[in-house]
Amino acid sequence: MNALRLLVVYFRIGLLGEAQYRVNFLFQLFETGLGMASVLAAIWVVFSQTDTLGGWKPAELTALIGIYFIVLGSINVMVAPSLQKFMEDIVTGNFDYTLTKPADAQVLVSLSEVRIWRLADVLLGAVALVVSIVRESMVVGWVEGGKFLLALLAGAVMVYSFWIVLATLAFWFIRVENILQIFWAMYTAGRWPVGIYPGWLKWTLTLVVPVAFAVTVPAEAVSGRASGTSLLGALGLACVLFAFSRWFWRVGIRKYAGASS
Amino acid sequence: MLVPTFTWGAVMHWLRTLQAYPAFLRISLLSNLQYRASGAIWMIGSILEPVVYLTVWSTVARSQGGSVGGYTPEEFAAYYMTLLLVNHLTFTWVMHEFQYRVQYGHFSFALLRPIHPIHEDIALNLSFKAVQLAVILPALILLGLAFHPRFDLDPLSVALFLPALAMGFLLRFLFEWTLAMAAFWTTRVTAINQSYFSVQMLLSGRVAPISLLPSWVAAAAGFLPFYYASGFPVEVALGRLSTDQVLRGFGIQLVWITVAAAVISLVWRRSARKFTAVGS
Amino acid sequence: MSTVIEIDRLSKSYVVPVRGAGVRASIVSLVKRKTRTVEAVKEISLSVEAGEVVGFLGPNGAGKTTTLKMLSGLLHPTGGTASVLGFEPWKRNNDFLRQITLVMGQRNQLIWDIPVIDSFDRNRVIYRLTREEYRERLDELVELLELGELLSKPVRNLSLGERMKCEVAAALLHHPRILFLDEPTLGLDVSMQRRLRTFVEQYNKRTGATVLLTSHYMADVEALCPRVVVIHHGELLFDGKLADLVRKFSAQKTLVLELEESQEDLSRFGQVVSQEGSRATLRVPKQDTAEVTARILRELKVQDLNVADPPIDEIIDQVFSRGMA
Repeated sequence: MNALRLLVVYFRIGLLGEAQYRVNFLFQLFETGLGMASVLAAIWVVFSQTDTLGGWKPAELTALIGIYFIVLGSINVMVAPSLQKFMEDIVTGNFDYTLTKPADAQVLVSLSEVRIWRLADVLLGAVALVVSIVRESMVVGWVEGGKFLLALLAGAVMVYSFWIVLATLAFWFIRVENILQIFWAMYTAGRWPVGIYPGWLKWTLTLVVPVAFAVTVPAEAVSGRASGTSLLGALGLACVLFAFSRWFWRVGIRKYAGASS
Repeated sequence: MLVPTFTWGAVMHWLRTLQAYPAFLRISLLSNLQYRASGAIWMIGSILEPVVYLTVWSTVARSQGGSVGGYTPEEFAAYYMTLLLVNHLTFTWVMHEFQYRVQYGHFSFALLRPIHPIHEDIALNLSFKAVQLAVILPALILLGLAFHPRFDLDPLSVALFLPALAMGFLLRFLFEWTLAMAAFWTTRVTAINQSYFSVQMLLSGRVAPISLLPSWVAAAAGFLPFYYASGFPVEVALGRLSTDQVLRGFGIQLVWITVAAAVISLVWRRSARKFTAVGS
Repeated sequence: MSTVIEIDRLSKSYVVPVRGAGVRASIVSLVKRKTRTVEAVKEISLSVEAGEVVGFLGPNGAGKTTTLKMLSGLLHPTGGTASVLGFEPWKRNNDFLRQITLVMGQRNQLIWDIPVIDSFDRNRVIYRLTREEYRERLDELVELLELGELLSKPVRNLSLGERMKCEVAAALLHHPRILFLDEPTLGLDVSMQRRLRTFVEQYNKRTGATVLLTSHYMADVEALCPRVVVIHHGELLFDGKLADLVRKFSAQKTLVLELEESQEDLSRFGQVVSQEGSRATLRVPKQDTAEVTARILRELKVQDLNVADPPIDEIIDQVFSRGMA
C-alpha cells in the first residue's frame, strides 16, 4: 500500500531531522517525566485522603495514567505535529503543493511531520503501565491483553478521526490552531476515570471528545472490567467516526477549492 | 527601575509611564477583540481544570462520609469556583511568549521603545482578562447551577479579598516575568517552564486546597510564592483563614513582590544587553 | 501539434468580508459581517498547444495566479469549463496530477530541516517512480541545474537562489508534461534569474513540455515566451505574440538624437526623457513620428537619429495604468 510506503519515508525523514539533536531526547524524557510526576503527585494527594476513588484502586489509576501517556505520545509523534503543520500550510498557502500531488491528500497531511522524540511519552507511559500491573500483581491474561489492545486501537482511531475533523475546520476558519486547544483541554480530563465526572461532562468526554474511549476504556480492559459489549460499541463508534471524518475532510477540500457544494 | 524610589524625578517618571496605559489598553483591547473566539477556546481549559478537581474531591468527600479535610462537596464547589475566577485574573502567558519573542527578534522593537516592555505586557494581560470575563462569568453561573456551591461570605472577607487578589496578580506577574527572562540565556525554556508549572500546580492550591496536602508539602507551600497568587486570595474570600493567617499572608505577598521586582530591575538590563549582543 | 489546454469562459468570483477599523467596527463585526463579491477572473477563453511556452502578464491581483490555480486543479471555477490534458483539473485525478507540476516562487515544498535529497526521496514515493527512473532523472537535473553539492545540505542552509533551483528540480523529478510556474524568479538576483530562465528554455526544448508562466519580470517573459497573455482586472486583454503586443499598445516612439552642439530646449518636438550634453532622448506619439523626425532634421544639426519602441516594461506599465478598455 502506498500509504505505508509514505509512512516509512516520513518516519525516516523525521528521524533524520531530529537525530541531529539527540540531546533533545533527554530533555523530552525530563519534561515528560516531570509531567508524569506532577500527575502522580496529584493522585498521591488524593489517595492520602481515601482508599478508592469511584471504585478505582491506586494501582489501577497509575495504570490509567500510563495509558494516558501512551496515547498522548502517539498523538504527539505524528498526528498533532502533522495537522498543526497542515494548518500553518493553509495560512501560508503551502497546502497548495499537497493538493497537486498524486496521492491522497489526507494521508499526506497526516504524515507530514514526525516528532520522533515524543516517543519518550509512549516509553514512560508503558513503564508506568507495566510497573502498576506488576506491583499490584494484576492478572492480565490473553483475554484482558487482547481486549486492551482492541480498546486501544478503537481509541486511537477515534482520536485520529477527531483530530482530522478539528483540522478540517481550518478550511473555514483561519486561526484554527486554537481549536486544537479544545482537544488538549478536554484530554487532560482523561487523567481521571471519566466515570467520576457529572453526567454532562462524562457524555462530552465520551461522545464529543473521545477521551473516554482513548484512555478510560483501555484502562478498564487492563483491570478486567470492560465488557464485551462496550468493546464492540467502541469499535463500532470508531468506524463511524472514521467514516465521518473522511467525509468531512472531503467536504473541506471541496470548500478550499471553492467548489459550490 | 521597577522598585519605586520616592524622589521627585521618580514620581514624574512613574506618572509619565502611567500615561502610556490608556493607549496600551486601547490597542490591546482591539487585538483581543479581534481574537475573541480563539481566546474563548483557551478558556475551556481554565474552566475544565477546577471542574475536574472539584469532581475528584467531591467524590472523595462523599466516600468519606460527607466531608474531607473540613470541606463538604458544596464547600469544594465554592472553593474551586472562586479559584477559577482568581486563577483567571492572575495567570499570565509570558513564560510561553518570551521564547517566541527572543527567537523571532520581537524584542528588538521593544528595546527601541523608551518604556519598559513590562508595562505593555501588563496592559495586554489586563485587557485580555477583561474581555474573557465575558466567558468566565457565564461559566461560573452554569457551574453554580451544576454544583450547588455553599458560600458563607462576610463583608470583611470580601473587602480583604480585593487587596489579596491585586497583590496576588502583581506577585504572579512579576514572578513569571522574572522566570521568563531565562529565555535570554537558554533555548531550553520549555524544561524550565515545565518544572515551574508542575510545582505551581501542586503548591498553589489547584490540585487541592493546601490544607489537604500532606503536612510537609503544605508547610513548603506556606512560604513559597505559588499559593499566594491563587489559593490564598480564594481562602481569604471564603473566610477560611484566621486574622493572623491573613495578615501573615499579606506580609509574605509583599516580600515576594519586592523580591521579584528587585530581580527584574537587576536582571532586565543584563538580559537586554545579552540579547543585543547575541543579536537576532 | 495537439491542444493540451482548452479554456472556455472560465470565471472565478469570491465573497470577501468587509471590516472597518476601530473598536466599534470590531464589535459590530461580531454581530454581522458585511461581504462583497470580487470577480477575480472574468470569462477567460484560450487554448494552448503542446510544447508552447506562454507568459501571463498583469499587475498584482489581476487574476493570473487564480487562473493558474484553476488550471492546476487547486481552485474550482465559478463558471466556464477547462480541459487540461483531457482532464477537468479540479477533479484532481491522480493520473492528471502525475503529469503536471506547480512551482510557486514565494512558497516552498522542500522540508526545511533536512537535506534536499530526502525531500526528493519523498517525491519519489509520492509520484511512485521506480528507483531507476528516479536515479536517471535526478542525475539529469543535477547536471542541468548544477545541484551537485547542494543535495546533502539542509534546506535552511541554502541561499534563496539555491533553494529555488532545488524547488524546481523537486518539481520536475516526475517529468511533468505541463509546468505551471507562478513567479518562479521572484526575489532572485539577476544572474540567477537568467540561469533559471535558460534552464526552463532547455527543459522545454528537450522534453517538449508545455510551460505556463507568470512573472513580474518582463525579462523572463521576453526571453522565454513567444506568446503572451495579458490579464487585467480579471479580463483577458491580449493573447498573441509579444511583438504584436508592443505594436498594438505602444502609442509612442522613442527618438534618440546625437546633435552637433548641445541645444537649449527640445520640448517643442516632444516629451524630453533625458538630455545630456549633445545626447537627448525624446518621446513622441506614434502617428506623429514621421512628421517630427522631418522637422528635427530640418531645424537641427543632427549627427545621428534613432527611432525605437520604448522598453517593454514601460509599455506594459502604460497599458495597465490606462486600463486600456
